[in-house]
Amino acid sequence: MNPPNPPTRQAAQQRVDDIHTFRLELMRLEDEGVIALPEPQRQAVNTHHDALLARLAQGFDLDHDHRAKQLSLGMRIVSLLGALALGASVFFLFYRFWGYLTTTVQVATLVSAALGSFLLTTWINRRDPTGYFTRLSAMVAFTCFVLNIVMLGQIFNINPSDKALLPWAAFAFVLAYGFEARLLQAAGILCIAAYIAARCGAWGGLYWLDFGRRPENFFAAAVAIFMLPQVVDQSRFSGFAATYRVFGALLLFLPVLVLAHWGESSYWAANLGANSDLVEGVYQVVGFVGTAALAWWAVKRQWPEVMNTGVTLFIIFFYSKLFDWWWETMPKYLFFLVLGLTAILLLMVFKRLRQVQA
Amino acid sequence: MKWTPRATLIAGLALMALTNAVALGGAAYNRSGQPDSQLALTQREVQAPSPYSSRRHRDENSGLALTLQWRCLNDGETAYLGNRYCLSPPWLDAAKMAALGFDGRKLAPADGSEASLWRSVNQLPREVLVVLELNGPAYKEALRRSEKAYADAVGSNKDESDQRSAKGELEYERDHSSRLFAVDAGLDLHALRTQYPDRSAYAIVHARVQPIWSERKAKARGRIDDVHAEHINVPIEWRRALDGAKNRPANDDDKTPPFDALVAFGQRLEPWLVSAARR
Repeated sequence: MNPPNPPTRQAAQQRVDDIHTFRLELMRLEDEGVIALPEPQRQAVNTHHDALLARLAQGFDLDHDHRAKQLSLGMRIVSLLGALALGASVFFLFYRFWGYLTTTVQVATLVSAALGSFLLTTWINRRDPTGYFTRLSAMVAFTCFVLNIVMLGQIFNINPSDKALLPWAAFAFVLAYGFEARLLQAAGILCIAAYIAARCGAWGGLYWLDFGRRPENFFAAAVAIFMLPQVVDQSRFSGFAATYRVFGALLLFLPVLVLAHWGESSYWAANLGANSDLVEGVYQVVGFVGTAALAWWAVKRQWPEVMNTGVTLFIIFFYSKLFDWWWETMPKYLFFLVLGLTAILLLMVFKRLRQVQA
Repeated sequence: MKWTPRATLIAGLALMALTNAVALGGAAYNRSGQPDSQLALTQREVQAPSPYSSRRHRDENSGLALTLQWRCLNDGETAYLGNRYCLSPPWLDAAKMAALGFDGRKLAPADGSEASLWRSVNQLPREVLVVLELNGPAYKEALRRSEKAYADAVGSNKDESDQRSAKGELEYERDHSSRLFAVDAGLDLHALRTQYPDRSAYAIVHARVQPIWSERKAKARGRIDDVHAEHINVPIEWRRALDGAKNRPANDDDKTPPFDALVAFGQRLEPWLVSAARR
């Protein structure tokens, strides 16, 4: 009986890697005389694995060895750069010629570009098993849609509004889920986070474009984005859950980092008259404790990307605090020596934690 | 729900259709019916891109937009140059700022300490409605001040260069400076329009206002950070009248504005160029 296909490319790739690792280790064990597999069993295992590899290769674009993996990484980087370059090209192409077009032609061109690039993406998707060309085209489609709305605003002198972020976010998510493009998922997350933060600011009486000047506006969006994978199952989309959690963590703790050094920007200081030094102190504690707790929780839940994010943020908080305390007062060689020694200390702590876990 | 390619196609098309419909529908609504105001401006009040701006920039962007040139009267105690660039008019005082929604208690700090002064101006900008007056009492007052400054320079026998400078300022004020002044602000469009009913002389626009601290007067006041209607796209049918228009006169002898521009502000107070003609 054939086992069911893995749900995502990542799971399929993991299975391929496991099969290759199993074959290598079996060969080593046989060479070392630990095991001698009977020929019928060896044949059965090899036949099963060969059939499975063939079936997985049909369903997904997979890397069969280390060299293929390196090439895949290179293709992803090139795909990203190509998408950004093509997007910029579309933008500047329109900018160069739009002034010579009538208003009707301008609008028609903008709508056609967005529509055409989107239809092209769906067409490429049916013919592109690797997904690289599809994702590149999807990025261009997103750029065309953003250009569509921005230029309509310029043509008709529309007052800038945070409401434009909503369709951008929605379209980014449609493309992300439709073509498994995590970069567009990130674009969608940033747009929706900006919209929620702008709304939070506007409800407090701010002009929406100034939402970044009160970092607490990002907290609600950060929590919502972080918790989304708990509410909506993302298992069919490889890496999407991790992306939500990583961005949620960044949207929460980067504003905390800002507030830990600039207490005047807090609502507590600006609106309620709290002492800005006290506000900074509170957010520093929140930053240290929060990032450590995040890393610990991520280890328990086996979320490696979130754990790395938590650890990185903790180190940023720690080093920025050291900078605050000692950069002005300590000789530079001593300051960097202290940084190096704290890095060694942290390594020892992580090593100890790893031993305890094992 | 299973996310299929068909679902992606339908969702994407529907989203694009809806977004464009909302944007274009909003623009059509803004231009529907009677405009909220319609001002007959000249090159003094709407500035074409400078011919001295980067050629590469002009080549990369073929679009043309006029920039609204507005100003406000200062309190009359500083030199007339202040009239040209003042963004913090005396009428935008603490009381007016409180009426615009800023925290009045923080605009009048009790103890004068640095911390309370900082809190008084640490309120972030708010979006308000600003009234722009064209060729009205504010401009006439600015002109009167320039005339007085010149008369004072001549009457008090100041040296020749001072007199020449005052004369140049008067001529600039009379022939080239913008006649569009910010004269009031509020939150209620209907109330402002009732107070300024002449739609050919007063435009009401969205703007952003920020509290600032006046060191000289030791009190908080407001500053108009920007006006949303500042940039007005020029459709191709009006470009011929504006292509090659000079930004500012190359020399003092050129006093004639090169073009007239009729600008309307619609239901959403968004502007558009109704017509433009070279003089």
